[in-house]
Amino acid sequence: MANLRQVAKHGLNALLKAGADKAQCVATFVDKHEMNVELGEFSLLRTTFDTNIRLTAIKANRRGSTNINKSDEESIDKAAGEVLAIATASAPDEAFDIAETQPPAEFSSGSDSPDLDKMYSSMKQLIHQVRDRYPKLVLMQVIVDFTRSRSCFVNSNDVDFVTNKGVYNCSFLFSSKDEDKVSSFNYTGFSLRELEKHLLECGSLDILLRQSVEQIVTRPLEGKFVGDVIITPDCMGDILFFITRALSDGPMISGTSIYKGKLGLQIASPMFTLHSRPVSDEICDGYFVTSDGYAAENSTIIESGVLKTYLLSLYGSRKTGFDRAVNTGGAFVVDPGDTQLDDMIKSVEKGILLARFSGGYPSDNGDFSGVAKNSYLIENGEIKYPISESMVAGNFAEMLKNIKAISRERIDYGFSILPWVQVSGITVSGK
Amino acid sequence: MYNLNLYDYTKLFSGYSELRAQENRVVSIVFVKGNNTVNSRSATSGISARVYKNGSWGFASNPEISEAAAKAVIQAATENAVFLDSKELKGKGPLPKSPVKSENDFSTKKPRLGQRELVEFIRQLDDHIARKYPDLASRTVSLSCLDMEKTLITSDGSYSHSLVPRTTVGIALSFIKDGEPVEFARPYGGLGHFEDLFTSPEDLFNEIEEQYHHLMKKSEGVFADAGLKTCVLAAELAGILAHEAIGHTTEADMVISGSVAQGKIGRQVASPLVTLVDFAHSYNGQVCPVPVYVDDEGTEAKDAVLIEDGILKGYMHNKESARYFSVEPTGNARAYQFSDEPLIRMRNTAILPGTDKLEDMIASIDDGYYLIQPSDGQADVTSEFMFGITLGYEIKNGKIGKAIKDTTISGVAFDMLQTVTMASPDMKWHNSGMCGKKQGIPVGMGGPAIKCKINIGGR
Repeated sequence: MANLRQVAKHGLNALLKAGADKAQCVATFVDKHEMNVELGEFSLLRTTFDTNIRLTAIKANRRGSTNINKSDEESIDKAAGEVLAIATASAPDEAFDIAETQPPAEFSSGSDSPDLDKMYSSMKQLIHQVRDRYPKLVLMQVIVDFTRSRSCFVNSNDVDFVTNKGVYNCSFLFSSKDEDKVSSFNYTGFSLRELEKHLLECGSLDILLRQSVEQIVTRPLEGKFVGDVIITPDCMGDILFFITRALSDGPMISGTSIYKGKLGLQIASPMFTLHSRPVSDEICDGYFVTSDGYAAENSTIIESGVLKTYLLSLYGSRKTGFDRAVNTGGAFVVDPGDTQLDDMIKSVEKGILLARFSGGYPSDNGDFSGVAKNSYLIENGEIKYPISESMVAGNFAEMLKNIKAISRERIDYGFSILPWVQVSGITVSGK
Repeated sequence: MYNLNLYDYTKLFSGYSELRAQENRVVSIVFVKGNNTVNSRSATSGISARVYKNGSWGFASNPEISEAAAKAVIQAATENAVFLDSKELKGKGPLPKSPVKSENDFSTKKPRLGQRELVEFIRQLDDHIARKYPDLASRTVSLSCLDMEKTLITSDGSYSHSLVPRTTVGIALSFIKDGEPVEFARPYGGLGHFEDLFTSPEDLFNEIEEQYHHLMKKSEGVFADAGLKTCVLAAELAGILAHEAIGHTTEADMVISGSVAQGKIGRQVASPLVTLVDFAHSYNGQVCPVPVYVDDEGTEAKDAVLIEDGILKGYMHNKESARYFSVEPTGNARAYQFSDEPLIRMRNTAILPGTDKLEDMIASIDDGYYLIQPSDGQADVTSEFMFGITLGYEIKNGKIGKAIKDTTISGVAFDMLQTVTMASPDMKWHNSGMCGKKQGIPVGMGGPAIKCKINIGGR
């Protein structure tokens, strides 16, 4: 049964036939072509085909779901019967529901098939460029894949969405070595619709490779101080993870989110505006349909520091009484500021350029601590030297309020677009 | 699981090849403050082939487990290897051969419980917490079950079938203190099916009581004083230290990449009190949390002694790295899903116990910390590691003091391990760890309580 919509419809009908009051089925076919480089040499060419059929049923306000990766009728029929048994076992909850009727739609982005020769030549070119430009750099792992996914979301309210998406995903893990000295590894990645530019010109790759070579020789910080931290775009993920989690179903339903009741209130500096833009042209690795089966829309989560929306699912919305989010987060775009990065550095009396944060999960109240990896000491407006064995600690929620500047420059990762952010009041400690 | 004789396809192999059929089965049940937010099961299965040609690898997978799929993945993987070899012309020789046959099934012999019984077990735990501890702001009670069943054949004659289940009950308790949430979460369970690990919700009541009391103390907790401190790492923590601090830097692919363990075989890298082993499947006659008898390249899994009495002794290998270093492969090549290729991964990494009493270790510290519960961690090729701490206490004048808030500890492993001065005789395994390295994979981590100097994050 190769037809995507037929598979999804069969899953939906099987659930209804098995006794579901409400049902939904998401059928996804994924083809991936992946090239791997290890230690600067091609090591593996990987081709994978996978299927995911997600079946969800609600019966008498009880919900169950299952995932299988088989698309034949017999497997789907068997799984549909199991979903009803799982649903029957669940605790009842009137908040369980499925998306309402929407006009059917088909969404597409990216190419249908990979250009394997281009993948190979792009990676080969990167290897040569790195050898020429950064001879001490070790490309520990480079992975470029082309992922083609086709997905159909149907439910018993006549929702019928088809998505076709093709995207190149690139990831890089590297360190630098000079005799017996080695730098901390660092990593980055980006997504591309087409392999048009040199990989070295995409995302933050060239910046980080240059820094990696500089970081072969580091100095530990001595003592402890409270100062400014310039957070690089590659390091913004931890803050965005904290915000996303605090606004999502779990903490909102349990009542432990520090942002519960803060809708319309100032939770960050007026300089900070955060969007989630899964269906924007500027994002090549977004999504078109939410996990609940709604056509995704772009949204502004924080506008000039004011919280504009939670990130609640349909279930989370019904449990808390707040509006359902128009997307499921991700595809983050932070508005640029009006400060040049160079000027930002010049303004720091004592602080660090935080290029990678290696720390434990932040507490629910936003407290965090961790190691400042691949980072630099800034003193009297100048980057002094790369540091090691240095830790940073603070509170994400407070940090968002204590933003001093946001850079004009931003990095486009394909899946997000992020600037450098300068914050104050961070504890930095060395040996 | 699947009815396909993989031997029927060995005639299609050309050069060194692996053919693996695998199914991962997952059960997830979550109650958040009494709401049954997750109630699902999944099964992901398929077949994959990996083919080696002159130093280049081809891999292909298919979600169907059928004659046609087996033929297709062997053909596609072979074509992928030929494509890369034609471009790269590495001209590397054959891989080491060590054919072995193995059958290991850790599934329960008891009747399996259905979803209804499992949901009811978690609901009863949730209900108990809600009734007994009404001052809590919230609680999350979850059940996570993973069965990994694999069948592997290789062109050099290895055969392996294994079924390794893991069951984890997760309990997270939240308390609001001065308007801010304080949480403390702990996992319970380990190797085995639910039926072999849990008989009644009451079995966990004592642990929950202890967890609640720790949370109450943590809600009054103070920030750690940042800097280099003398600490006792509880046995629950030593395993993650073994994994993050040393384990990753001694994975042979990391060594070849230039980790600090490169060229240090035979050198003193830790205190003589430290012996560190990545166990294949058993320690002291007991099965470890993640038993591996044959790895996913068909190599018999052997214990990898990494550090013995403080001296670096060896690395963890797959076939390719073993050839590079001219040693025997250790059986550390592991893949998570059917669609994943095997990578060098740890199995059950542990620091071996010593002879010092925990009470004496604490009593010997004037100003330091007793650190008990880890969260996530990360390693580096420099051996600078970190991991999160979600439960710890001050030590003042040899006595346990106030609890501390969540923090992170870090150090440079080869420096930090030189500071180990005491190790306790008990040995505890951390049974629910997942390690991320391109793919996630279950790992076991173990050790005794140790006294050492380590950087602690704080204010």
